[in-house]
Amino acid sequence: MTTRDSILAAVHAGLGGLRAEPDAIAAEAAGLLADLDAIRPRLAAPDPVDAFEIKAAALGTTIERVRHLDDVPAAVGRYLAAQGLPPAAAVQQTAALTALSWEGIAQDMATAPDQPAAVGLARLGIAESGSIVIHSATDSPILLAFLPLHHIVVLHASSVVAHLEDYARLLDGGSQPRNAILITGPSGTTDIEGSYVRGAHGPGFVHVIIVNDRSRA
Amino acid sequence: MTAQDQTSFKARAGAALADTTLKLAIDRTTGTAERKRAAALAGFPEFEAARARGAAIKDHVIANLDHYLETFERNATAAGAKVHWAATAEEACDIVVRLCREADAKHVTRSKSMLGEEIHLPDALATAGIERVETDLAEHIIQLAGEHPSHIIWPAMHRTREQVAVLFNADHKPPPDAEDPASMVQSARRVLREKFLSADVGISGANFLVADTGATCTVTNEGNAELTTTPPRVHIVTAGIEKLVPTTAHAFALLRLLVRSATGGELTQYTTFHCGPKRPGDADGPEEMHIVLVDNGRSRMIKDEFREMLRCIRCGACMNHCVVYRQIGGHAYGGTYPGPMGAVLTPVLDGLKQSRDLPFACTMNGRCAEVCPVRIPLPTLLRAWRVRSWEEGLEKAPMRAGLGLWATLARRPGLYRLASAIAVRTLRVLGRSGWIRSLPLAGGWTEHRDLPAPAGGTFMERYKAERAKGDSR
Amino acid sequence: MSTASGPRVGLFVTCLVDAMRPQIGFAALQLLEEAGCRVEVPRQQTCCGQPAWNSGDAADAASIARQVIAAFEPYDYLVAPSGSCAGTITHYPELLARDPVWGPRAAALAAKTHEVLSFLVDVLGYTPTGLRLDASATYHDSCSGLRELGVHDQPRALLAAVEGLELRPLEGDNVCCGFGGTFCVKYPAISNAIITEKAEAIDATGADLLLAGDLGCLMNMAGKLHRRGSKVRCYHTIEIIAGGGAGPAIGETP
Repeated sequence: MTTRDSILAAVHAGLGGLRAEPDAIAAEAAGLLADLDAIRPRLAAPDPVDAFEIKAAALGTTIERVRHLDDVPAAVGRYLAAQGLPPAAAVQQTAALTALSWEGIAQDMATAPDQPAAVGLARLGIAESGSIVIHSATDSPILLAFLPLHHIVVLHASSVVAHLEDYARLLDGGSQPRNAILITGPSGTTDIEGSYVRGAHGPGFVHVIIVNDRSRA
Repeated sequence: MTAQDQTSFKARAGAALADTTLKLAIDRTTGTAERKRAAALAGFPEFEAARARGAAIKDHVIANLDHYLETFERNATAAGAKVHWAATAEEACDIVVRLCREADAKHVTRSKSMLGEEIHLPDALATAGIERVETDLAEHIIQLAGEHPSHIIWPAMHRTREQVAVLFNADHKPPPDAEDPASMVQSARRVLREKFLSADVGISGANFLVADTGATCTVTNEGNAELTTTPPRVHIVTAGIEKLVPTTAHAFALLRLLVRSATGGELTQYTTFHCGPKRPGDADGPEEMHIVLVDNGRSRMIKDEFREMLRCIRCGACMNHCVVYRQIGGHAYGGTYPGPMGAVLTPVLDGLKQSRDLPFACTMNGRCAEVCPVRIPLPTLLRAWRVRSWEEGLEKAPMRAGLGLWATLARRPGLYRLASAIAVRTLRVLGRSGWIRSLPLAGGWTEHRDLPAPAGGTFMERYKAERAKGDSR
Repeated sequence: MSTASGPRVGLFVTCLVDAMRPQIGFAALQLLEEAGCRVEVPRQQTCCGQPAWNSGDAADAASIARQVIAAFEPYDYLVAPSGSCAGTITHYPELLARDPVWGPRAAALAAKTHEVLSFLVDVLGYTPTGLRLDASATYHDSCSGLRELGVHDQPRALLAAVEGLELRPLEGDNVCCGFGGTFCVKYPAISNAIITEKAEAIDATGADLLLAGDLGCLMNMAGKLHRRGSKVRCYHTIEIIAGGGAGPAIGETP
């Protein structure tokens, strides 16, 4: 018997040798997520984008809202200037960002190990927790979100979902990438006497530029 | 077992109690953790309902564990990961060391994993001559100090900033600019950054294994897990078989409980799902992903009285709120896991005989169970170990004899009343002032506190006398 | 004044109250009768069995449990001036879970077992009247009562009815005092560290009195306070509610 089989046999025996049908197990598992509003927090504001902003700001993430995607490079320039950084950043090589006019901002094609700033596109925002979501992909290196000191994230208002489960639902159907990462505020640590220090290994600063692409009623 | 187990629990606890620096360090971190947890719960009125659901999710997984293990294996394999199985700690280490050798690894980075500590992976890598770099800041500190974690969330809780500065000044080239936490964190960032990018293998644990996607989930606040698991060519995960959840949404339901209970946050900075190696064309990521599923006593727990312990999501709230932990810290417990959850788990892992003190070194005040986010009845489980200790004859003879005599009397009310009346009279004589400062056979009490003398007469005597008076009227 | 129609209560005195401080038992008796109960003190009682149970001696604990069940099952309620002992009795069903005869009897007794202060408030709706005590007091929540039986608001409500009594908050009022039954003699050094912090917190309130609902915890706290030379005087809450605040505190001679 392989180790695998002996472990499974021990588990099976521990459970009394009984085994439910997969459909029954799935139904029971789904039932455990019924009435989600009873077991999750309410949003910090009625509008998910407002709620996202409140939560993210509370974590130390800074936020700027712009009207159009075209406004992003200027907003990045303002942020870099305000931080006293040179006008340069590693920009994620994804169509939505590379199509923009980055005049005045020097673009690094790769993220250096001590990269001061990088600009990336968020796949989603989560209102409940103020998190942004990135996925690994051909045009989305994970290290872009971890090596720089300043992580500047472009987030479309239309891609803010309310709750964590709304994001989980989008992952259903075999669309799971190698890495799906929920980033909730800047990197930090409390490992020395419980005192909070920003920028442990990942970015010490997260700046979200929200593009208001929703048609407001 | 760890090296510190050579001494007795009482000796370790005594040394910890004498260490005022340790007490200061523990108070600083557990105090903050307790306050932040309370604030997080105040903002989450759904917590009680959520923890009932969290417990039910874990119970459901354990009740169908064979199904979920097979489902996870199938989906992780389909995503391109290689799944390995280890019945014991030794088997798990052997697999990891073999994988490192196959990858021709000179140095590996590791992201904090208590399962890795449980199987003594650091020792196994050292024996195999593989350089290990701990990347979590606290693990980096204790690696420099040559120690084991003293807390499952804050492994270096026992060290003050001054002590950390001594370690960093000796190891970091150049040393930190200053000895405040921010400068020391900055120094560790500088030193570890190059290690991340040149590692051959990255080893992580898993907070959850998601059955329906085959993904493993890590939760870190520093970002070290992603820097550990992305640049190297090989990513190895070690995880206990109880870490399964049915779907990503179930993991989120538990994450809400885990994070609030552990650090008082709502979601940790980095919640990452790792599903197989990098996909064709991916900009970065490892070429191989291996997942080592570790039993190490867990399958046995399914059928014994400790099954509910398999719910544990390793948040550390029980130790932060434990009066004993807060006095003696984690190392005194002598196992991988300290505090109330450790007092239940260590006898499973190391055997009851070696760790018999742990279930007894508890006042049974129930605060651990009160804060447990998945409602593990920790005092009940500790009591179960006490019953086993009694049944296996591990209780020392004087205690057995004393309890036996007491139980004999307690079952004979007439005799019991006679004996208690005599005892009360004796204590009254010894404590004429109202207090007894020293009492033979009760040195454990009177060494540290006075014993109030009985107020006079037993209740039963006086009640009988009063009733007799009442009847004669 | 017991009435013929009131509930029949079996008073479980507890072994510590029986031996060390009978006035707690008499205070309970007095208040239960005032609240309209017919109170009896079954002669077949000794101890709830907690020392055996907490030591892992399940057989002796079960045998003592059967004795308590037999003695108290004729009553409408079992009431004890201790959350710890009442808590143990509510655990009898676990202890006798595999016993087809005693298991259900244990469950029936557990369902009608109460700690006295919460019984007075929750079941009898009792409010003391005409009480006056000019003093400041702080209150410690004994763990078993608090966590196993939900004793928290009731003693505070009763104490609020005492005119002249100022209740001062105790930092860490829900944190164990380090008594833990056999724990305090098995691990005296750890217990001492815990009770030292508790005594410091009690002294820091500057209150005249320390009140709690369990004699074991009270003896631990009173003993430590006295060893430290503290002037804080310790009573079981029920003594104050029964008007015994003028009597000798724990460790005082009349």
